[in-house]
Amino acid sequence: MATRAQPGPLSQAGSAGVAALATVGVASGPGPGRPGPLQDETLGVASVPSQWRAVQGIRWETKSCQTASIATASASAQARNHVDAQVQTEAPVPVSVQPPSQYDIPRLAAFLRRVEAMVIRELNKNWQSHAFDGFEVNWTEQQQMVSCLYTLGYPPAQAQGLHVTSISWNSTGSVVACAYGRLDHGDWSTLKSFVCAWNLDRRDLRPQQPSAVVEVPSAVLCLAFHPTQPSHVAGGLYSGEVLVWDLSRLEDPLLWRTGLTDDTHTDPVSQPGHSHRFQVLSVATDGKVLLWQGIGVGQLQLTEGFALVMQQLPRSTKLKKHPRGETEVGATAVAFSSFDPRLFILGTEGGFPLKCSLAAGEAALTRMPSSVPLRAPAQFTFSPHGGPIYSVSCSPFHRNLFLSAGTDGHVHLYSMLQAPPLTSLQLSLKYLFAVRWSPVRPLVFAAASGKGDVQLFDLQKSSQKPTVLIKQTQDESPVYCLEFNSQQTQLLAAGDAQGTVKVWQLSTEFTEQGPREAEDLDCLAAEVAA
Amino acid sequence: MNEWTNTGREPDPLPSSLPGPTAPGLGEPQAEVEETLKRIQSHKGVIGTMVVNAEGIPIRTTLDNSTTVQYAGLLHHLTMKAKSTVRDIDPQNDLTFLRIRSKKHEIMVAPDKEYLLIVIQNPCE
Repeated sequence: MATRAQPGPLSQAGSAGVAALATVGVASGPGPGRPGPLQDETLGVASVPSQWRAVQGIRWETKSCQTASIATASASAQARNHVDAQVQTEAPVPVSVQPPSQYDIPRLAAFLRRVEAMVIRELNKNWQSHAFDGFEVNWTEQQQMVSCLYTLGYPPAQAQGLHVTSISWNSTGSVVACAYGRLDHGDWSTLKSFVCAWNLDRRDLRPQQPSAVVEVPSAVLCLAFHPTQPSHVAGGLYSGEVLVWDLSRLEDPLLWRTGLTDDTHTDPVSQPGHSHRFQVLSVATDGKVLLWQGIGVGQLQLTEGFALVMQQLPRSTKLKKHPRGETEVGATAVAFSSFDPRLFILGTEGGFPLKCSLAAGEAALTRMPSSVPLRAPAQFTFSPHGGPIYSVSCSPFHRNLFLSAGTDGHVHLYSMLQAPPLTSLQLSLKYLFAVRWSPVRPLVFAAASGKGDVQLFDLQKSSQKPTVLIKQTQDESPVYCLEFNSQQTQLLAAGDAQGTVKVWQLSTEFTEQGPREAEDLDCLAAEVAA
Repeated sequence: MNEWTNTGREPDPLPSSLPGPTAPGLGEPQAEVEETLKRIQSHKGVIGTMVVNAEGIPIRTTLDNSTTVQYAGLLHHLTMKAKSTVRDIDPQNDLTFLRIRSKKHEIMVAPDKEYLLIVIQNPCE
């Protein structure tokens, strides 16, 4: 059979080809009219040529492209002149009221004549109005629960079994620093310890990696940030030294140290505090209260010193023991009054708080060597606790109130006007290690107990039991220190014996003042027994 | 940032200042000013009173310096803003009195062309 596979012009070829096939097929077999026996036959291959491909035709061309060659040239640049500049914010300068000029008085009188009647009318209306009774506005989102924001720790310190002995927030409220040491060693130890700081405002905050770590040769017992310099922090060591570090310097943060001279404390320093711009106050159980100033390079020099001697304590309350001789009274806690910068309250080992003043003039009867004459600062003695006091705190809202907490598990609220406390609350059966007033709510304070919890008290709600109890440690190991953040008032940091610092976010009820709290506090303070 | 310095001498009087009313010396208007301010200050619940001039500088006050300066600066701006708000809504209208009620107390401002009288009152509740 012939196959018609040749391409031909258009459809005529196609149909002709098909017609040819048809005729070929018919011709070979028997005629269409006559049925014949079925037999196998092999026909040829039939192919139908493509119609469209013949139409299209395939055409191709070759093209190529090439980028033009790249021109390169070398040049170098070098800055020749550079200028160093530093920027520093200064503390704001207080401004004063302009004194009135003489010639304005008649106009002022005319103005006052015009407005006085209207103002008096409005004052009267306001005094009698009940329009706003019970009306309260919520500006911020209400946070109902207390939650733990961060759990911070330094693994090498925790591996050594160190406790967090003290924490402090810096002046801008963004950095929390903690000191590691041990509070239960009764003897000298040469344990290396650390001071760690975390910057909570950084986005890459890693809870186990502090932003600044300082290694200290001896256990650090207490820590305090400078009130205006955000990076200076002072710490008191077990060996009696006081050191000041600058955490913004990465190599060698140590700024000043007292060294081990005759002037330094001989017992562990229990609390440093910053009183003035460059002065550090330190108190220790050897009975000395010392004021240091950083001078020159590296050395803290003693500017003023006070010594507490049993004999010289004012006899405003009966103390249990009256030993002979010049026994020192060990001081364990200090708190400055927010209203009078020279007044401070000392907590002592004997359990009685002392009201002291930096301006006291009487010389101390002590034989402790010192380059600066030591004075007796105590002005008033308050009724004692059942055990040593570990923490005192002066109220930021009332000039006469302060709290003290000690090993008897009680918190006493004292007024500076009388010796016995205004109220005494039993918070825990174990020791109380720290007590702090809230910086925003006049009637709220927090206490850290040896049972591992932080108790928040709201004297407006209940004066008997805590409003909120925050469990910090799971195994009831004690919480040694706590501090409120005065800039971000919803944060509370607490450090415990497991070496972790937990930053708690308080609910809104602890951060916003109610309408009459200041007056309620005044009422409380006025309950002074006649 | 304004800085107030006391040069130790009285400023020269402006030529447009009016002479005082016919009173013996300047004693009477002075006494009247003091009396009026004392009346307002001794009203029930008033915590503080101050008079601020057209530039926001306090002239008379019963509070301490830093608080006064803060109140004067802030309330001066707020009063100007309130005044322009009222006049923008209706040019025939004008601000006569401004009261701000806060959680702790109420601040009342009586505005005028040359001065502002600010009174802070603690309401009875």
